[in-house]
Amino acid sequence: MPLIDPSVVDLSRMQFALTALYHFLFVPLTLGMTFILAAMETVYVITGKAIYKEMTQFWGKLFGINFAIGVATGLTMEFEFGTNWSMFSHFVGDVFGTPLAIEGLMAFFMESTFVGLMFFGWDRLSKPGHLAITYLTALGSNLSALWILIANGFMQNPQGASFDPVTMRMQFTSFLGLVFSPDAQAKFVHTSIAGFVAGAMFIMGISAFYLLRRQHVALAARSFRMAALFGVISSMAVVTLGDALGRLDYLVQPTKIAAIEGLWQDSNAHSTVAAAPWLLFALPNDATQSNSFEIGVPYLLTPLVTHSENQVIPGLITQERMAGPRILDGIKAVNALQAFGARHDAADLAAFQASEGNMGYGFLAQRNAPNQDLKLITPANQDAIVAQTERDIVPNVFVTFWSFRLMMFLGFYFVALFAFASYYSLRNELMKHPWLLKATMWSIPLPIMATEFGWITAEAGRQPWSVFGWLPTFQAASSHPVGYMIFSLIGFALLYSSFIAAELYLMFKFARLGPQPHHDAPEEPGMSPMFARAAE
Amino acid sequence: MGKIFKLLGLALVLALGIGLAVVAGDYGPWYFAWLVGTTMIVLIAAAGAVLFDTQEAATSGEA
Repeated sequence: MPLIDPSVVDLSRMQFALTALYHFLFVPLTLGMTFILAAMETVYVITGKAIYKEMTQFWGKLFGINFAIGVATGLTMEFEFGTNWSMFSHFVGDVFGTPLAIEGLMAFFMESTFVGLMFFGWDRLSKPGHLAITYLTALGSNLSALWILIANGFMQNPQGASFDPVTMRMQFTSFLGLVFSPDAQAKFVHTSIAGFVAGAMFIMGISAFYLLRRQHVALAARSFRMAALFGVISSMAVVTLGDALGRLDYLVQPTKIAAIEGLWQDSNAHSTVAAAPWLLFALPNDATQSNSFEIGVPYLLTPLVTHSENQVIPGLITQERMAGPRILDGIKAVNALQAFGARHDAADLAAFQASEGNMGYGFLAQRNAPNQDLKLITPANQDAIVAQTERDIVPNVFVTFWSFRLMMFLGFYFVALFAFASYYSLRNELMKHPWLLKATMWSIPLPIMATEFGWITAEAGRQPWSVFGWLPTFQAASSHPVGYMIFSLIGFALLYSSFIAAELYLMFKFARLGPQPHHDAPEEPGMSPMFARAAE
Repeated sequence: MGKIFKLLGLALVLALGIGLAVVAGDYGPWYFAWLVGTTMIVLIAAAGAVLFDTQEAATSGEA
Protein backbone atom coordinates (compact mmCIF):
# COMPACT_ATOMS: atom_id res chain seq x y z
CA MET A 1 0.00 0.00 0.00
CA PRO A 2 1.54 3.39 -0.95
CA LEU A 3 2.27 5.78 1.90
CA ILE A 4 0.27 8.96 2.43
CA ASP A 5 1.66 12.08 0.73
CA PRO A 6 4.13 13.61 3.28
CA SER A 7 2.74 17.10 2.56
CA VAL A 8 -0.72 15.89 3.63
CA VAL A 9 0.76 14.41 6.82
CA ASP A 10 2.54 17.69 7.58
CA LEU A 11 -0.61 19.72 6.89
CA SER A 12 -2.68 17.36 9.06
CA ARG A 13 -0.17 17.78 11.88
CA MET A 14 -0.20 21.53 11.41
CA GLN A 15 -3.99 21.62 11.48
CA PHE A 16 -4.23 19.51 14.63
CA ALA A 17 -1.48 21.54 16.33
CA LEU A 18 -3.25 24.77 15.37
CA THR A 19 -6.69 23.69 16.61
CA ALA A 20 -5.28 22.09 19.79
CA LEU A 21 -3.13 25.11 20.66
CA TYR A 22 -6.02 27.49 19.99
CA HIS A 23 -8.35 25.33 22.10
CA PHE A 24 -5.84 25.25 24.91
CA LEU A 25 -5.82 29.02 25.13
CA PHE A 26 -9.24 28.62 26.79
CA VAL A 27 -9.01 25.33 28.69
CA PRO A 28 -6.59 26.28 31.51
CA LEU A 29 -8.81 29.15 32.66
CA THR A 30 -11.83 26.86 32.77
CA LEU A 31 -9.95 24.22 34.78
CA GLY A 32 -8.61 26.70 37.29
CA MET A 33 -11.29 29.34 37.64
CA THR A 34 -14.03 26.86 38.51
CA PHE A 35 -12.26 25.77 41.68
CA ILE A 36 -11.46 29.38 42.65
CA LEU A 37 -15.15 30.24 42.17
CA ALA A 38 -15.99 27.27 44.41
CA ALA A 39 -13.59 28.59 47.08
CA MET A 40 -15.17 32.08 46.90
CA GLU A 41 -18.69 30.69 47.12
CA THR A 42 -17.66 28.47 50.04
CA VAL A 43 -16.65 31.60 51.96
CA TYR A 44 -19.97 33.22 50.99
CA VAL A 45 -21.99 30.26 52.25
CA ILE A 46 -19.97 30.00 55.48
CA THR A 47 -19.75 33.71 56.36
CA GLY A 48 -22.89 35.00 54.62
CA LYS A 49 -20.99 38.10 53.43
CA ALA A 50 -22.46 39.45 50.19
CA ILE A 51 -19.06 40.55 48.87
CA TYR A 52 -18.14 36.88 48.28
CA LYS A 53 -21.33 36.31 46.32
CA GLU A 54 -20.47 39.39 44.25
CA MET A 55 -16.97 38.02 43.70
CA THR A 56 -18.30 34.62 42.63
CA GLN A 57 -20.74 36.24 40.21
CA PHE A 58 -18.25 38.71 38.75
CA TRP A 59 -15.46 36.19 38.15
CA GLY A 60 -18.13 33.70 37.10
CA LYS A 61 -19.16 36.06 34.32
CA LEU A 62 -15.58 36.16 32.96
CA PHE A 63 -15.38 32.38 33.34
CA GLY A 64 -18.65 32.07 31.37
CA ILE A 65 -17.26 34.04 28.41
CA ASN A 66 -14.18 31.83 28.36
CA PHE A 67 -16.19 28.62 28.74
CA ALA A 68 -18.63 29.38 25.92
CA ILE A 69 -15.89 30.14 23.40
CA GLY A 70 -13.62 27.35 24.69
CA VAL A 71 -16.27 24.67 24.20
CA ALA A 72 -16.78 25.76 20.59
CA THR A 73 -13.06 25.43 19.80
CA GLY A 74 -12.84 21.95 21.33
CA LEU A 75 -15.54 20.40 19.18
CA THR A 76 -13.54 20.18 15.96
CA MET A 77 -10.68 18.16 17.36
CA GLU A 78 -12.74 15.09 18.13
CA PHE A 79 -13.93 15.11 14.52
CA GLU A 80 -10.37 15.62 13.24
CA PHE A 81 -9.45 12.15 14.49
CA GLY A 82 -11.96 10.78 12.00
CA THR A 83 -11.41 13.19 9.12
CA ASN A 84 -7.64 13.77 9.18
CA TRP A 85 -6.34 10.82 11.21
CA SER A 86 -8.42 7.92 9.92
CA MET A 87 -5.52 5.44 9.94
CA PHE A 88 -4.85 6.36 13.55
CA SER A 89 -8.56 5.96 14.37
CA HIS A 90 -8.62 2.57 12.66
CA PHE A 91 -5.51 1.40 14.49
CA VAL A 92 -6.38 2.51 18.03
CA GLY A 93 -10.04 3.56 17.75
CA ASP A 94 -11.29 0.70 19.96
CA VAL A 95 -9.11 1.91 22.81
CA PHE A 96 -8.76 5.61 22.11
CA GLY A 97 -12.45 6.13 21.32
CA THR A 98 -13.57 5.03 24.80
CA PRO A 99 -12.06 7.87 26.84
CA LEU A 100 -13.06 10.34 24.11
CA ALA A 101 -16.67 9.15 24.27
CA ILE A 102 -16.70 9.40 28.06
CA GLU A 103 -15.20 12.89 27.77
CA GLY A 104 -18.00 13.88 25.39
CA LEU A 105 -20.58 12.68 27.90
CA MET A 106 -18.83 14.42 30.77
CA ALA A 107 -18.36 17.71 28.91
CA PHE A 108 -21.83 17.93 27.44
CA PHE A 109 -24.02 16.29 30.05
CA MET A 110 -22.25 16.94 33.35
CA GLU A 111 -20.13 20.04 32.87
CA SER A 112 -22.50 22.01 30.63
CA THR A 113 -25.59 21.16 32.69
CA PHE A 114 -23.93 22.28 35.88
CA VAL A 115 -22.54 25.42 34.24
CA GLY A 116 -26.12 26.32 33.26
CA LEU A 117 -27.37 25.68 36.80
CA MET A 118 -24.48 27.69 38.22
CA PHE A 119 -25.33 30.76 36.13
CA PHE A 120 -29.11 30.65 36.32
CA GLY A 121 -29.61 28.94 39.68
CA TRP A 122 -28.70 31.76 42.06
CA ASP A 123 -32.35 32.64 42.74
CA ARG A 124 -33.70 29.12 42.32
CA LEU A 125 -31.43 27.03 44.53
CA SER A 126 -30.59 27.13 48.23
CA LYS A 127 -27.16 28.45 49.20
CA PRO A 128 -25.67 24.97 49.88
CA GLY A 129 -27.45 23.62 46.78
CA HIS A 130 -25.85 26.27 44.57
CA LEU A 131 -22.48 25.70 46.21
CA ALA A 132 -22.76 21.98 45.44
CA ILE A 133 -23.49 22.87 41.79
CA THR A 134 -20.40 25.11 41.64
CA TYR A 135 -18.24 22.28 42.99
CA LEU A 136 -19.79 19.85 40.49
CA THR A 137 -19.04 22.31 37.66
CA ALA A 138 -15.41 22.42 38.78
CA LEU A 139 -15.27 18.65 39.08
CA GLY A 140 -17.03 18.17 35.72
CA SER A 141 -14.65 20.42 33.82
CA ASN A 142 -11.60 18.75 35.35
CA LEU A 143 -13.05 15.27 34.78
CA SER A 144 -13.59 16.02 31.11
CA ALA A 145 -9.92 17.03 30.94
CA LEU A 146 -9.08 13.78 32.72
CA TRP A 147 -10.46 11.62 29.90
CA ILE A 148 -8.65 13.62 27.23
CA LEU A 149 -5.42 13.18 29.15
CA ILE A 150 -6.05 9.46 29.60
CA ALA A 151 -6.38 9.25 25.79
CA ASN A 152 -3.20 11.28 25.37
CA GLY A 153 -1.45 9.15 28.00
CA PHE A 154 -2.19 6.12 25.81
CA MET A 155 -0.48 7.82 22.86
CA GLN A 156 2.62 8.50 24.99
CA ASN A 157 2.78 5.13 26.73
CA PRO A 158 0.24 2.57 25.44
CA GLN A 159 -1.18 0.66 28.40
CA GLY A 160 -4.19 -1.64 28.69
CA ALA A 161 -4.25 -2.75 25.04
CA SER A 162 -2.60 -5.20 22.67
CA PHE A 163 -2.41 -5.57 18.88
CA ASP A 164 -4.75 -8.08 17.26
CA PRO A 165 -3.23 -9.41 13.99
CA VAL A 166 -6.65 -10.63 12.76
CA THR A 167 -8.44 -7.27 12.97
CA MET A 168 -5.18 -5.27 12.51
CA ARG A 169 -6.20 -3.02 15.41
CA MET A 170 -5.19 -2.34 18.98
CA GLN A 171 -7.78 -3.81 21.33
CA PHE A 172 -8.50 -3.45 25.02
CA THR A 173 -6.91 -5.85 27.45
CA SER A 174 -7.60 -3.76 30.55
CA PHE A 175 -9.72 -0.63 30.91
CA LEU A 176 -8.24 -0.05 34.37
CA GLY A 177 -4.75 -0.34 32.87
CA LEU A 178 -5.65 2.51 30.51
CA VAL A 179 -7.24 4.71 33.19
CA PHE A 180 -4.57 4.16 35.83
CA SER A 181 -1.57 4.32 33.51
CA PRO A 182 1.18 6.30 35.28
CA ASP A 183 1.49 8.61 32.28
CA ALA A 184 -2.24 9.45 32.29
CA GLN A 185 -2.18 10.08 36.04
CA ALA A 186 0.83 12.37 36.09
CA LYS A 187 -0.27 14.17 32.93
CA PHE A 188 -3.76 14.83 34.28
CA VAL A 189 -2.55 16.24 37.57
CA HIS A 190 0.19 18.33 35.88
CA THR A 191 -2.25 19.75 33.31
CA SER A 192 -5.16 20.30 35.67
CA ILE A 193 -3.00 22.13 38.19
CA ALA A 194 -1.34 24.15 35.42
CA GLY A 195 -4.93 25.31 34.78
CA PHE A 196 -5.21 26.25 38.47
CA VAL A 197 -2.10 28.43 38.04
CA ALA A 198 -3.60 30.08 34.94
CA GLY A 199 -6.92 30.73 36.72
CA ALA A 200 -5.17 32.15 39.79
CA MET A 201 -2.94 34.43 37.69
CA PHE A 202 -5.95 35.67 35.70
CA ILE A 203 -7.89 36.64 38.85
CA MET A 204 -4.82 38.01 40.59
CA GLY A 205 -3.80 40.04 37.51
CA ILE A 206 -7.18 41.69 37.02
CA SER A 207 -7.44 42.34 40.77
CA ALA A 208 -4.01 43.98 40.60
CA PHE A 209 -5.32 46.20 37.78
CA TYR A 210 -8.20 47.34 40.04
CA LEU A 211 -5.90 47.85 43.02
CA LEU A 212 -3.51 49.98 40.98
CA ARG A 213 -6.48 52.14 39.92
CA ARG A 214 -8.03 51.95 43.42
CA GLN A 215 -11.26 50.64 41.90
CA HIS A 216 -13.48 47.92 43.41
CA VAL A 217 -10.92 47.57 46.19
CA ALA A 218 -13.02 45.42 48.54
CA LEU A 219 -13.54 42.85 45.79
CA ALA A 220 -10.06 43.12 44.31
CA ALA A 221 -8.13 42.80 47.58
CA ARG A 222 -10.06 39.70 48.64
CA SER A 223 -9.82 38.17 45.17
CA PHE A 224 -6.08 38.89 45.07
CA ARG A 225 -5.57 37.22 48.45
CA MET A 226 -7.51 34.11 47.51
CA ALA A 227 -5.92 33.79 44.07
CA ALA A 228 -2.40 34.32 45.46
CA LEU A 229 -2.78 31.53 48.03
CA PHE A 230 -4.49 29.30 45.47
CA GLY A 231 -1.65 29.99 43.03
CA VAL A 232 1.33 29.57 45.33
CA ILE A 233 0.43 25.97 46.20
CA SER A 234 -0.67 25.16 42.65
CA SER A 235 2.54 26.49 41.12
CA MET A 236 4.64 24.36 43.48
CA ALA A 237 2.50 21.32 42.64
CA VAL A 238 2.96 21.93 38.89
CA VAL A 239 6.74 21.87 39.31
CA THR A 240 6.53 18.66 41.36
CA LEU A 241 4.35 16.94 38.76
CA GLY A 242 6.61 18.19 35.97
CA ASP A 243 9.47 16.40 37.69
CA ALA A 244 7.34 13.23 37.97
CA LEU A 245 6.55 13.39 34.25
CA GLY A 246 10.25 13.85 33.41
CA ARG A 247 11.15 10.76 35.43
CA LEU A 248 8.38 8.83 33.66
CA ASP A 249 9.66 9.96 30.26
CA TYR A 250 13.11 8.68 31.24
CA LEU A 251 11.57 5.25 31.88
CA VAL A 252 9.14 4.94 28.94
CA GLN A 253 10.03 7.62 26.34
CA PRO A 254 13.84 7.79 26.41
CA THR A 255 14.07 9.66 23.08
CA LYS A 256 11.79 12.38 24.43
CA ILE A 257 13.78 12.93 27.62
CA ALA A 258 17.07 12.97 25.67
CA ALA A 259 15.57 15.59 23.31
CA ILE A 260 14.27 17.64 26.26
CA GLU A 261 17.78 17.66 27.74
CA GLY A 262 19.57 18.18 24.42
CA LEU A 263 21.50 14.98 25.08
CA TRP A 264 23.13 13.67 21.89
CA GLN A 265 25.81 11.66 23.72
CA ASP A 266 25.29 9.54 26.86
CA SER A 267 25.19 11.50 30.10
CA ASN A 268 28.61 10.08 31.11
CA ALA A 269 30.30 10.88 27.77
CA HIS A 270 32.22 13.96 28.96
CA SER A 271 32.20 13.55 32.75
CA THR A 272 31.24 11.08 35.45
CA VAL A 273 27.54 10.15 35.58
CA ALA A 274 27.04 12.15 38.77
CA ALA A 275 28.75 15.27 37.39
CA ALA A 276 26.74 15.39 34.14
CA PRO A 277 25.64 19.00 33.57
CA TRP A 278 22.05 20.10 33.14
CA LEU A 279 21.91 22.46 30.17
CA LEU A 280 20.61 25.87 31.08
CA PHE A 281 21.23 27.10 27.54
CA ALA A 282 22.22 25.46 24.26
CA LEU A 283 21.44 25.66 20.57
CA PRO A 284 20.77 22.08 19.44
CA ASN A 285 21.44 21.40 15.78
CA ASP A 286 19.35 18.51 14.48
CA ALA A 287 21.31 18.22 11.23
CA THR A 288 24.75 17.86 12.81
CA GLN A 289 23.40 16.14 15.96
CA SER A 290 25.33 18.45 18.28
CA ASN A 291 24.82 21.54 20.46
CA SER A 292 26.43 24.96 20.26
CA PHE A 293 26.95 27.52 23.04
CA GLU A 294 26.23 25.07 25.87
CA ILE A 295 25.93 26.53 29.38
CA GLY A 296 25.38 23.76 31.93
CA VAL A 297 25.02 23.35 35.67
CA PRO A 298 27.18 20.39 36.77
CA TYR A 299 25.86 17.62 39.03
CA LEU A 300 22.22 18.44 38.25
CA LEU A 301 21.20 16.32 35.25
CA THR A 302 21.43 12.77 36.69
CA PRO A 303 19.51 13.35 39.95
CA LEU A 304 16.99 15.56 38.15
CA VAL A 305 16.08 13.01 35.47
CA THR A 306 16.81 9.63 37.05
CA HIS A 307 16.29 10.50 40.74
CA SER A 308 19.60 8.71 41.39
CA GLU A 309 23.31 9.52 41.25
CA ASN A 310 24.54 6.66 39.12
CA GLN A 311 22.07 5.86 36.31
CA VAL A 312 23.26 6.76 32.83
CA ILE A 313 20.85 8.62 30.54
CA PRO A 314 21.37 7.26 27.02
CA GLY A 315 22.01 9.95 24.44
CA LEU A 316 20.12 10.15 21.16
CA ILE A 317 23.05 8.81 19.10
CA THR A 318 23.26 5.74 21.35
CA GLN A 319 19.50 5.30 21.12
CA GLU A 320 19.70 5.42 17.33
CA ARG A 321 22.29 2.64 17.42
CA MET A 322 20.17 0.62 19.86
CA ALA A 323 17.16 0.95 17.53
CA GLY A 324 18.97 -0.91 14.68
CA PRO A 325 18.17 -4.46 15.84
CA ARG A 326 14.59 -3.41 16.65
CA ILE A 327 14.17 -2.06 13.12
CA LEU A 328 15.41 -5.33 11.59
CA ASP A 329 13.09 -7.31 13.85
CA GLY A 330 10.22 -4.95 13.07
CA ILE A 331 10.70 -5.49 9.33
CA LYS A 332 10.32 -9.25 9.96
CA ALA A 333 7.16 -8.58 12.02
CA VAL A 334 5.48 -6.47 9.32
CA ASN A 335 6.39 -8.95 6.56
CA ALA A 336 5.00 -11.82 8.67
CA LEU A 337 1.86 -9.78 9.41
CA GLN A 338 1.27 -9.14 5.70
CA ALA A 339 1.81 -12.84 4.95
CA PHE A 340 -0.62 -13.81 7.73
CA GLY A 341 -3.19 -11.33 6.38
CA ALA A 342 -2.94 -12.92 2.92
CA ARG A 343 -2.77 -16.64 3.85
CA HIS A 344 -3.91 -16.94 7.50
CA ASP A 345 -1.10 -19.41 8.06
CA ALA A 346 -0.17 -20.40 11.64
CA ALA A 347 3.55 -20.26 10.82
CA ASP A 348 3.22 -16.63 9.70
CA LEU A 349 1.29 -15.82 12.88
CA ALA A 350 4.00 -17.42 15.01
CA ALA A 351 6.68 -15.48 13.12
CA PHE A 352 4.74 -12.24 13.69
CA GLN A 353 4.20 -12.92 17.39
CA ALA A 354 7.92 -13.57 17.87
CA SER A 355 8.69 -10.01 16.70
CA GLU A 356 5.42 -8.24 17.57
CA GLY A 357 6.98 -5.87 20.11
CA ASN A 358 9.04 -4.25 17.35
CA MET A 359 6.27 -3.99 14.73
CA GLY A 360 6.21 -0.20 14.98
CA TYR A 361 9.88 -0.02 14.01
CA GLY A 362 9.05 -2.06 10.89
CA PHE A 363 6.35 0.48 9.97
CA LEU A 364 8.93 3.21 10.52
CA ALA A 365 11.30 1.55 8.02
CA GLN A 366 8.63 1.46 5.32
CA ARG A 367 9.28 5.10 4.38
CA ASN A 368 12.90 4.28 3.51
CA ALA A 369 12.29 0.93 1.73
CA PRO A 370 12.49 0.67 -2.10
CA ASN A 371 9.03 1.62 -3.44
CA GLN A 372 8.05 1.79 0.25
CA ASP A 373 7.74 -1.99 0.22
CA LEU A 374 9.50 -3.86 3.03
CA LYS A 375 9.61 -7.04 0.94
CA LEU A 376 12.09 -5.34 -1.38
CA ILE A 377 14.65 -5.02 1.41
CA THR A 378 17.56 -7.34 0.66
CA PRO A 379 20.87 -8.04 2.43
CA ALA A 380 22.44 -5.64 -0.07
CA ASN A 381 20.31 -2.58 0.79
CA GLN A 382 19.34 -3.53 4.34
CA ASP A 383 22.15 -1.71 6.19
CA ALA A 384 21.51 1.59 4.39
CA ILE A 385 17.77 1.40 5.08
CA VAL A 386 18.29 0.57 8.76
CA ALA A 387 20.81 3.42 9.11
CA GLN A 388 18.32 5.85 7.53
CA THR A 389 15.50 4.62 9.79
CA GLU A 390 17.67 4.87 12.91
CA ARG A 391 17.87 8.66 12.38
CA ASP A 392 14.08 8.78 12.10
CA ILE A 393 13.52 7.80 15.75
CA VAL A 394 14.82 11.19 16.93
CA PRO A 395 12.27 13.98 17.51
CA ASN A 396 12.98 17.62 16.66
CA VAL A 397 15.49 18.35 19.42
CA PHE A 398 15.62 22.15 19.04
CA VAL A 399 11.84 22.52 19.41
CA THR A 400 11.54 20.01 22.27
CA PHE A 401 14.56 21.42 24.14
CA TRP A 402 13.41 25.04 23.99
CA SER A 403 9.67 24.55 24.48
CA PHE A 404 10.52 22.59 27.64
CA ARG A 405 12.90 25.28 28.91
CA LEU A 406 10.46 28.12 28.27
CA MET A 407 7.74 26.20 30.13
CA MET A 408 10.07 25.40 33.01
CA PHE A 409 11.52 28.92 33.38
CA LEU A 410 7.98 30.30 33.42
CA GLY A 411 6.98 27.68 36.03
CA PHE A 412 9.68 28.83 38.44
CA TYR A 413 8.80 32.48 37.77
CA PHE A 414 5.20 31.69 38.81
CA VAL A 415 6.34 30.11 42.07
CA ALA A 416 8.34 33.26 42.90
CA LEU A 417 5.58 35.67 41.84
CA PHE A 418 2.84 33.85 43.78
CA ALA A 419 5.12 33.59 46.83
CA PHE A 420 5.73 37.37 46.85
CA ALA A 421 2.04 38.03 46.15
CA SER A 422 0.93 35.78 49.03
CA TYR A 423 3.49 37.27 51.40
CA TYR A 424 2.56 40.90 50.74
CA SER A 425 -1.15 40.14 50.57
CA LEU A 426 -1.05 38.38 53.96
CA ARG A 427 0.80 41.39 55.39
CA ASN A 428 -1.64 43.78 53.67
CA GLU A 429 1.26 45.58 52.05
CA LEU A 430 0.26 45.23 48.41
CA MET A 431 -0.16 48.98 47.91
CA LYS A 432 3.43 49.56 49.04
CA HIS A 433 4.67 47.38 46.18
CA PRO A 434 3.16 48.62 42.92
CA TRP A 435 5.92 46.77 41.01
CA LEU A 436 4.37 43.50 42.21
CA LEU A 437 0.89 44.55 41.14
CA LYS A 438 2.20 45.61 37.72
CA ALA A 439 4.20 42.38 37.31
CA THR A 440 1.11 40.37 38.21
CA MET A 441 -1.07 42.26 35.75
CA TRP A 442 1.38 41.78 32.87
CA SER A 443 1.82 38.10 33.77
CA ILE A 444 -1.82 37.18 33.02
CA PRO A 445 -1.06 35.49 29.66
CA LEU A 446 2.14 33.74 30.82
CA PRO A 447 0.62 30.61 32.44
CA ILE A 448 -1.43 30.02 29.30
CA MET A 449 1.73 30.36 27.22
CA ALA A 450 3.47 27.92 29.58
CA THR A 451 0.76 25.29 29.04
CA GLU A 452 1.13 25.75 25.28
CA PHE A 453 4.90 25.19 25.57
CA GLY A 454 4.13 22.14 27.71
CA TRP A 455 1.95 20.65 25.00
CA ILE A 456 4.59 21.37 22.35
CA THR A 457 7.18 19.58 24.53
CA ALA A 458 4.90 16.57 25.03
CA GLU A 459 3.80 16.22 21.41
CA ALA A 460 6.96 17.25 19.53
CA GLY A 461 8.93 14.98 21.88
CA ARG A 462 6.63 12.03 21.07
CA GLN A 463 7.58 12.14 17.37
CA PRO A 464 8.04 10.24 15.09
CA TRP A 465 5.23 8.25 16.73
CA SER A 466 1.51 8.93 16.95
CA VAL A 467 1.28 5.96 19.35
CA PHE A 468 4.70 5.64 20.93
CA GLY A 469 6.57 2.59 19.64
CA TRP A 470 3.57 1.25 17.70
CA LEU A 471 2.38 3.60 14.96
CA PRO A 472 4.48 6.23 13.18
CA THR A 473 2.78 9.58 12.60
CA PHE A 474 3.33 9.42 8.82
CA GLN A 475 1.17 6.28 8.70
CA ALA A 476 -1.61 7.66 10.90
CA ALA A 477 -3.07 10.37 8.66
CA SER A 478 -5.91 10.28 6.11
CA SER A 479 -5.19 10.44 2.38
CA HIS A 480 -6.73 13.82 1.51
CA PRO A 481 -5.77 16.01 -1.45
CA VAL A 482 -3.30 18.76 -0.48
CA GLY A 483 -5.75 21.46 -1.64
CA TYR A 484 -8.41 20.20 0.78
CA MET A 485 -5.94 20.35 3.67
CA ILE A 486 -4.77 23.88 2.81
CA PHE A 487 -8.35 25.10 2.43
CA SER A 488 -9.49 23.62 5.76
CA LEU A 489 -6.32 24.83 7.52
CA ILE A 490 -6.90 28.41 6.39
CA GLY A 491 -10.58 28.11 7.32
CA PHE A 492 -9.75 26.94 10.84
CA ALA A 493 -7.08 29.62 11.29
CA LEU A 494 -9.57 32.35 10.33
CA LEU A 495 -12.43 30.92 12.37
CA TYR A 496 -10.37 30.34 15.49
CA SER A 497 -8.69 33.74 15.21
CA SER A 498 -12.16 35.30 15.20
CA PHE A 499 -12.96 33.32 18.38
CA ILE A 500 -9.81 34.65 20.03
CA ALA A 501 -10.67 38.21 18.94
CA ALA A 502 -14.20 37.79 20.39
CA GLU A 503 -12.80 36.40 23.65
CA LEU A 504 -10.27 39.21 24.04
CA TYR A 505 -12.86 41.89 23.21
CA LEU A 506 -15.39 40.52 25.73
CA MET A 507 -12.80 39.86 28.44
CA PHE A 508 -11.32 43.37 28.19
CA LYS A 509 -14.80 44.92 28.06
CA PHE A 510 -16.18 43.14 31.13
CA ALA A 511 -12.93 43.27 33.11
CA ARG A 512 -12.69 47.05 32.56
CA LEU A 513 -16.36 47.42 33.45
CA GLY A 514 -15.79 45.61 36.75
CA PRO A 515 -18.44 44.17 39.03
CA GLN A 516 -21.89 45.70 38.64
CA PRO A 517 -23.91 46.43 41.82
CA HIS A 518 -26.87 44.13 42.41
CA HIS A 519 -30.10 45.67 43.62
CA ASP A 520 -30.59 42.99 46.26
CA ALA A 521 -27.03 43.15 47.59
CA PRO A 522 -26.25 45.42 50.52
CA GLU A 523 -23.93 48.32 49.76
CA GLU A 524 -20.28 47.46 50.28
CA PRO A 525 -17.77 50.12 51.25
CA GLY A 526 -15.85 51.35 48.23
CA MET A 527 -12.52 51.17 50.03
CA SER A 528 -11.41 48.47 52.43
CA PRO A 529 -10.27 50.04 55.75
CA MET A 530 -6.88 48.33 55.45
CA PHE A 531 -6.38 49.69 51.96
CA ALA A 532 -7.78 53.09 52.89
CA ARG A 533 -5.05 53.36 55.53
CA ALA A 534 -2.38 52.24 53.05
CA ALA A 535 -3.60 54.83 50.57
CA GLU A 536 -3.36 57.72 53.05
CA MET B 1 -36.59 12.16 60.53
CA GLY B 2 -35.02 14.80 58.30
CA LYS B 3 -31.96 14.92 60.54
CA ILE B 4 -31.57 11.15 60.35
CA PHE B 5 -31.63 11.29 56.54
CA LYS B 6 -29.12 14.14 56.59
CA LEU B 7 -26.82 12.16 58.89
CA LEU B 8 -27.21 9.04 56.74
CA GLY B 9 -26.45 11.10 53.63
CA LEU B 10 -23.33 12.56 55.22
CA ALA B 11 -22.27 9.10 56.41
CA LEU B 12 -22.70 7.81 52.86
CA VAL B 13 -20.56 10.65 51.46
CA LEU B 14 -17.93 9.89 54.10
CA ALA B 15 -17.95 6.17 53.29
CA LEU B 16 -17.72 6.92 49.57
CA GLY B 17 -14.85 9.33 50.23
CA ILE B 18 -12.94 6.74 52.25
CA GLY B 19 -13.62 4.05 49.62
CA LEU B 20 -12.45 6.38 46.86
CA ALA B 21 -9.33 7.28 48.84
CA VAL B 22 -8.46 3.60 49.36
CA VAL B 23 -8.92 2.72 45.66
CA ALA B 24 -7.25 5.88 44.37
CA GLY B 25 -4.38 5.52 46.85
CA ASP B 26 -3.73 1.92 45.73
CA TYR B 27 -4.18 2.21 41.98
CA GLY B 28 -3.75 5.87 41.25
CA PRO B 29 -1.40 7.66 43.62
CA TRP B 30 -1.35 10.83 41.50
CA TYR B 31 -5.16 10.87 41.19
CA PHE B 32 -5.31 10.54 44.96
CA ALA B 33 -2.80 13.38 45.31
CA TRP B 34 -5.00 15.52 43.05
CA LEU B 35 -8.10 14.84 45.17
CA VAL B 36 -6.35 15.66 48.42
CA GLY B 37 -4.30 18.53 46.98
CA THR B 38 -7.21 20.27 45.26
CA THR B 39 -9.28 20.10 48.43
CA MET B 40 -6.38 21.57 50.37
CA ILE B 41 -5.78 24.36 47.82
CA VAL B 42 -9.47 25.37 47.88
CA LEU B 43 -9.57 25.35 51.68
CA ILE B 44 -6.37 27.38 52.02
CA ALA B 45 -7.68 29.98 49.55
CA ALA B 46 -10.95 30.15 51.52
CA ALA B 47 -9.03 30.43 54.80
CA GLY B 48 -7.06 33.33 53.29
CA ALA B 49 -10.31 35.18 52.63
CA VAL B 50 -11.56 34.60 56.18
CA LEU B 51 -8.21 35.81 57.51
CA PHE B 52 -8.55 38.93 55.34
CA ASP B 53 -11.92 39.73 56.96
CA THR B 54 -10.47 39.16 60.41
CA GLN B 55 -7.52 41.45 59.67
CA GLU B 56 -9.90 44.06 58.26
CA ALA B 57 -12.15 43.87 61.33
CA ALA B 58 -9.09 44.32 63.55
CA THR B 59 -7.95 47.33 61.49
CA SER B 60 -11.44 48.88 61.68
CA GLY B 61 -11.42 48.34 65.44
CA GLU B 62 -8.07 50.11 65.75
CA ALA B 63 -9.32 53.01 63.63
